[in-house]
Order: sequence, then structure tokens, then C-alpha cells
Amino acid sequence: MRALITVGSTRFDELIQAVFSSSVLTSLSNKGYTSIVVQCGDSSFPYDYLLAHGERAFKLEKEGVLIECWRFKPSLQTEYEQANLVISHAGSGTIIDVLRMDKALIVVPNPTLLNNHQEELASVLEKLGHLRSSTTSSLAATIQEFNPSSLTKFPPFDGSKFRNLLDEEMGFI
Amino acid sequence: MWSLAICALVLLVALVFISVHSALSSFKISGGTKATTQNRKLAVFLGSGGHTSEMLAMISSLDFDKYYPRIYIISEGDTLSERKASTLEATKTANSGSTSKHADAYTFLVIPRARKVHQSLLTTPSTALLSLMHCFYHVTLASSYHRKTFADVLLLNGPGTCLTLCLAVYLNKFLGLPSPRTVYIESFARVRTLSLSGKLLRSLVDRFVVQWPQLLEDGKRGECRGWLI
Repeated sequence: MRALITVGSTRFDELIQAVFSSSVLTSLSNKGYTSIVVQCGDSSFPYDYLLAHGERAFKLEKEGVLIECWRFKPSLQTEYEQANLVISHAGSGTIIDVLRMDKALIVVPNPTLLNNHQEELASVLEKLGHLRSSTTSSLAATIQEFNPSSLTKFPPFDGSKFRNLLDEEMGFI
Repeated sequence: MWSLAICALVLLVALVFISVHSALSSFKISGGTKATTQNRKLAVFLGSGGHTSEMLAMISSLDFDKYYPRIYIISEGDTLSERKASTLEATKTANSGSTSKHADAYTFLVIPRARKVHQSLLTTPSTALLSLMHCFYHVTLASSYHRKTFADVLLLNGPGTCLTLCLAVYLNKFLGLPSPRTVYIESFARVRTLSLSGKLLRSLVDRFVVQWPQLLEDGKRGECRGWLI
């Protein structure tokens, strides 16, 4: 199985550092994830020297997991499609994209962000059963106990609510 | 700073003049709630990043044969939002068939940023004023001169620069000029606390819409119809 880890277009050092840690990789390996793709953005982490000279990506194997790491992959669409699990920062855009593709999702809100509303969204969506929310220090344990089939399906896009709202406002209804 | 202050004063005098002039030539104020089959002119502010994505998702649900022409307002240098809006327009045209007569009825309006990222607080007042005057020009002066509304409805969902647009519309209303209805939609990402632009615009806009009911527990104005994206 494959997992995709992304921090979007930002940086999130602690999450990428955790992903490259032995404990997280071992959990992934235990659960049957043999290859992962990482979009690390501008994060700094112990292996970032492999990207120091303008390289766009590197590959490496650790704890029985094949890792392909990109600063910024031109498109993540195929990666999302191929992934069985997505681990991401808690940006709302990424959350919606991933859940609309019916992918199992673990989010890690970035606690260093000022005015942290990522945490609010992550916890309310976890309560509704659409995803799991974790922290960098408990990520290994979350992966270990995570059961994707326990998630609640995220509702598809329903444009009628906004359309009705504006049609009413403009006198069409 | 002095030259900006004088410009602002001249602008204000011009606005008062136009307001009297427009009152005499009996403008018809559009908007309102009467049932109609006429088209509506739609103005949409695209605030970049997640703001743009959410706004375009909502816009995609509209019937473009009712809402035209469409004006996409973007901040200077935000080419990504421009590209995304063009993509949506192309998709809508493709879906509605090539016979749609309003297929290409959209334009872009570029306004200067009120405050650039990392800009010093010292110079913010002057760039904010420049942005505000730009908005006044398009929303108030130009549309008054051409004797038609800038738009029937203006959709806003943050961030900061959308406040200057809202203030321009507010001035229009104050002067009795034809004005677009303003609708602010808070981001899906805001569950328990409003964004700064949400807090600022809550009492200024005609419709204040949130996507999580928790945000209305304070009993202040606003409405929630669930998730809009």
C-alpha cells in the first residue's frame, strides 16, 4: 500500500521530521505501507541536505519503507489517486480535496501557526468522523491504531445551497 | 501623505457632486427582492489561495445565464486566481454548450493591495488609501459617470483587501448612489472564531453568511445554511 504525506505549499518541519522518524516509518510498515511519497515543501529536516543543490526529489529506503521525497511535486493529483492513506497538514483546501476523493486522512494541525484555526477545523471534522486528527508526537501511535473503514463518508459538493441563497437575494426565487 | 489627503478631499467633493447629480437624474436603484427574469451583474472578489478556491467552488454552482456579466476582482500580481477563474469560465462554457450567448461575458478588475505581506506598518496607511481610492474609482466614480451600477451583487470572502471594496460600496450607499448588494461568506475553515475580515465586515455587509452554526452562538447578525463548498 502507498501513503502520501504533504504539507501543501508551506513548511512544517516537525511533521516532516516525524515522518522520517523510525517510529512513524515502523508504524507505516506494520500497517502494510511499503512506499510513501512526501511533499515536504520548504520544511527543514535531517535529510534535506539531499535537496540542498536544487534537486527536486530524492529516494531512500528506511525501516522497510521506500520513500520518495519532493520539495514541490508539479501535480499531486495522481499521487492522491494512488494513495491508500494521506497524512497532511490541516489546511482546509487539502482536507476538502482529499476527503472528496474518498481517501483515508490523518491531519496534523501545525501548533506553531499564529491564530490557530487549523486545530478547530481538524477537531470538528474528527468529531464528525471524517478524518483523524493527530500531533507530531503521537503520529506513530495514531497510524498504528487507525482503521480507515471506521471513517464516515464526506458529503459530496452541494451547490444548491449557495445557488438558492444568491438566487433569493437577487430575486430569482 | 499630504498629496494623498488632498486627493481624498477632491474625491469626496466629486462624490458629493455626483450624488446630487445622480439624485436629480433619478437613478434606478437595482437589487431588492422582487421576482425577475432579468440578468444580474455579478462582482466577485478573489482573495488568493484558499479564499479563491472556496469562492470559485461556490460560483461554480450559479447559472451563468442569469449572472452576467461577471467581474472578477483580483489583487495586483495574483495571476493564479486569474488563471483559476479563467479555467472555471472555460469549464462552464464547455458544460453549457457553445450556444450560450453569455459565454465570454466576464472581465478582470485588478486593484492594488491594501497591504502587502511583510509590509511595514509605517507605509500601510498610504498603500491602503491607494487601494481604497482605486476601489472608490471603480465602484463609485466610474459607475456613476456611466450611469449604471458597478454590479448588482458583490461577493466577498476575505482577506484584508476586500474591506476596502466593502467601504467603497458603503460610501455609495451613504451618498444614495446605486450600489451592489454585498454578501460576505466566511471560510469553511472557520468553525468557532471568525476571521479578521469576518469580524470587520459583519456589520457592514447586507448578508453575512457562515458555514458553521457555532459562529452564530454569540447572537449577533449572520446566517448559516451549512457547508457551501
